[in-house]
Amino acid sequence: MSEIVIKLENLTKRFGNFTAVDNIDLEVCRGETIGLVGPNGAGKTTTIKMIAKILRPNSGRILIRTNHSELLDLQNVSSTISQMGFLIDIPNFYNMTAFQLLKYFAKIQKYPKDQTEARINELLIRFKLTEWKHEKVKNFSKGMTQKLGIIQAIIHDPDIIILDEPQTGLDPLARIEIRKYIRDLQSQGKTIFVASHMLYEISEVCDKIALINYGKIIGFDTVENLAKSLKINVLNCILLKPLNTSDIDSLLNRLSKTLSPYLDQNLETRISKIPVRYKPEKQELKFYFDGKSESRGEILKILIKDFESDFTVIAFTQPKTSQLEMVYSQMVKNNEPEGKRKLNGDVFKN
Amino acid sequence: MRNNNEYGIGLKPIFDTVIFEIKKQRKKFYFFLGVAILIVFLVGYLLQLFPGYLLPDTQAGYFSGGLTFIEFLTLFSACLFFSGIICSEFDKKTGFIVFPKINKYKLILGKYLGNLILVVFIMAIYYFLLGLLGFFYYGGPINIRIFYSFGFAVLYVIALSSFVTLFSSFMKSVNVTIISTLLILLIGFTIADQIVTLIFADSFEPLYSIVYLGGLITSVLQNPFPDPRYAEVTMGPPGMGGGFTFGQWITPSIEMGIILLLVYIVVFFVLAAVLFKRRQL
Repeated sequence: MSEIVIKLENLTKRFGNFTAVDNIDLEVCRGETIGLVGPNGAGKTTTIKMIAKILRPNSGRILIRTNHSELLDLQNVSSTISQMGFLIDIPNFYNMTAFQLLKYFAKIQKYPKDQTEARINELLIRFKLTEWKHEKVKNFSKGMTQKLGIIQAIIHDPDIIILDEPQTGLDPLARIEIRKYIRDLQSQGKTIFVASHMLYEISEVCDKIALINYGKIIGFDTVENLAKSLKINVLNCILLKPLNTSDIDSLLNRLSKTLSPYLDQNLETRISKIPVRYKPEKQELKFYFDGKSESRGEILKILIKDFESDFTVIAFTQPKTSQLEMVYSQMVKNNEPEGKRKLNGDVFKN
Repeated sequence: MRNNNEYGIGLKPIFDTVIFEIKKQRKKFYFFLGVAILIVFLVGYLLQLFPGYLLPDTQAGYFSGGLTFIEFLTLFSACLFFSGIICSEFDKKTGFIVFPKINKYKLILGKYLGNLILVVFIMAIYYFLLGLLGFFYYGGPINIRIFYSFGFAVLYVIALSSFVTLFSSFMKSVNVTIISTLLILLIGFTIADQIVTLIFADSFEPLYSIVYLGGLITSVLQNPFPDPRYAEVTMGPPGMGGGFTFGQWITPSIEMGIILLLVYIVVFFVLAAVLFKRRQL
C-alpha cells in the first residue's frame, strides 16, 4: 500500500453554533485521485480551506507528508508547503497580466527561475490562454479566470494538487481539457484532491470518492464499492425501437421472471419497486442486478437470445455516472438529520 | 523534518512581493508623483511669479512654505496606498490564491515595504525639487534642516501607514478603510486637538494626535525651534465681539515627537498583526 500523504484526524470546524465540518477522518495516499462530493454547504470548501491553512480547525488535526518525510501536523509547520497547489473557491486575482501573476506565483513558490517562462508558456498553451498572456485579468471571462486559477495551482509543479470546483464556469470543451490534464497529472504520479458537484467529472477521474454531507463524511470508497454497499447496481439497455405501450407490463413481468437469478431481489422499494424498469423517452430498459460481473454477461445473453422477437438491443452499459448519482442521492438522503428529512419528505424516486 | 526549501523560510518571498507590489501600484504611484510635482511647481515656483509676492527672507522659511502641503500629501498617499494592504485580501478574496503560497505575514510585510518605498520615493522627489528651487532662489549651501524635515516626514509616513494598516486589519472593505482613516486623520484628530486645547489650555499637550506630531516636519525647519511651544492667539480687535483669545499648541518637542511616533508605530503594528492573525477568510 502506498504511503499516506494527507491525513485528516477528527477534523472539526465551527462557525458560531453552526458546525461546518464535523469530526472528519480521511486518508489520501500518494498518487491517488480523491473526489470530495457533497451538496452546497456540505463542508467541502471549508475542509479544503483548513488544508490550505486559511481556516484554523476548532479541533482535530491535519497531517501532511511531503518529499517522503514523516507525517507532520500542519499547525506545526511554520510556513506554507510548496509541494502543494491549491485552487480554492472562484479565483480572484490582483489586476495584473496573466504573465506577471504567474511569474510572481512561481517565484514565491521557488520554481526554478530559468524554467519559469517555459513553464508559464507550456501551461498557457495547454489551457489555450497564450493570446491572453499579457492581458490584464480584469479583461478575462469567467471561464478564462477559472483556467488561470487551475494554472496558478500547478505552476510550481506540486506533488499534491487540491482543486475546489475546478470545472466551474468552463465550457464543455474546456472541461474535457481539464479532465485530460487531470489524467496526465495522475499518470505523473501526482496526488489529486478534487471537490466538485459535477458527478460525471468526478466519476471519470477519481479513484475514490468521499461523500460529505452536513460536515460529515458519509462514505469513502470507489464508486463501485459504494454502489455495492448500497446495493445499487444498474444496467442500462438501449433498444432499437420503442416498446408497444400495451405490451410493456407483461414484458417487464417476463423479464423479471427470466432474469430473476441475476437481479437484485432485495431492492429497496424507494429505489424501485421492481428490478426491471422501462423508460419510454429513452427507449431504455433499466435492470437492477446483483452486481456480479458474470451476471452482466448472462443478462445480455438472455436478452439477445430469449427476447429476440420482443426488441433489439443496441447498447448495453453499466453507467458509472448514474450509479454515482444514485449513490450520492441515496447517501445524502440517508444521512440527513431527522428534522431535515421530514421537511424534504422521505421519497427517493428514480 | 523541516528544511528551508520545503517551508520557504527566508527573505526572498518578501523581496519578490516588494517588487510585485511596486509593479501593481504603478498607476497610483504615477498619479501621486504627478500631484507632488504639481504642488512643488505651484507652491515653490509659480507662486513666486505673482507680482507683489515676496520671497521669504531665508531658505528655511522658503522650505517651510513649500512644505505646507507635504502633510496633506503624505496623509492622502498613506491612506490610499496602505488601506488595502490587509483587507483587500479578504474583501476581494485574493487571499485564497496567495495565502497558501506564501506565509501571510511575509506577504503583508512585502506589500507594506513595496508601498512604503513608493510613498517615500514620492516624498523624496518632492523634497528634491523643493531643494533645487531653494538652491535656485537662494544659492548654496542647502539648509541642512531640510534633511531633518525629510527624516521626520519619513517617520510620520511610517506612523500614518501603521495607523492605516491597523484599520486595514479589521475593516471589511478597502473603500471604507480609506474613508474612515481620512476622516479620522483629517477631521477627527483636528477637532479633538481643538477641544482638548480649549478645555485644558497649556496643561495638556495633544500628544495622542499623530497629526499634531506630524507638525514637526515644518517646525524643525525653524531656527530657533519654537519656544514656548504653546501660544495664545487673539482674533480681531477688542470689543464688539472681537478680541477672542484662544490657545494653540504649535509643535511637540523633537525628542517627544520622535519617541511618540516610534511608540505609535510599534503599538499599531503589533495590534494590526494580532488582528490579522485572528482574521479568517
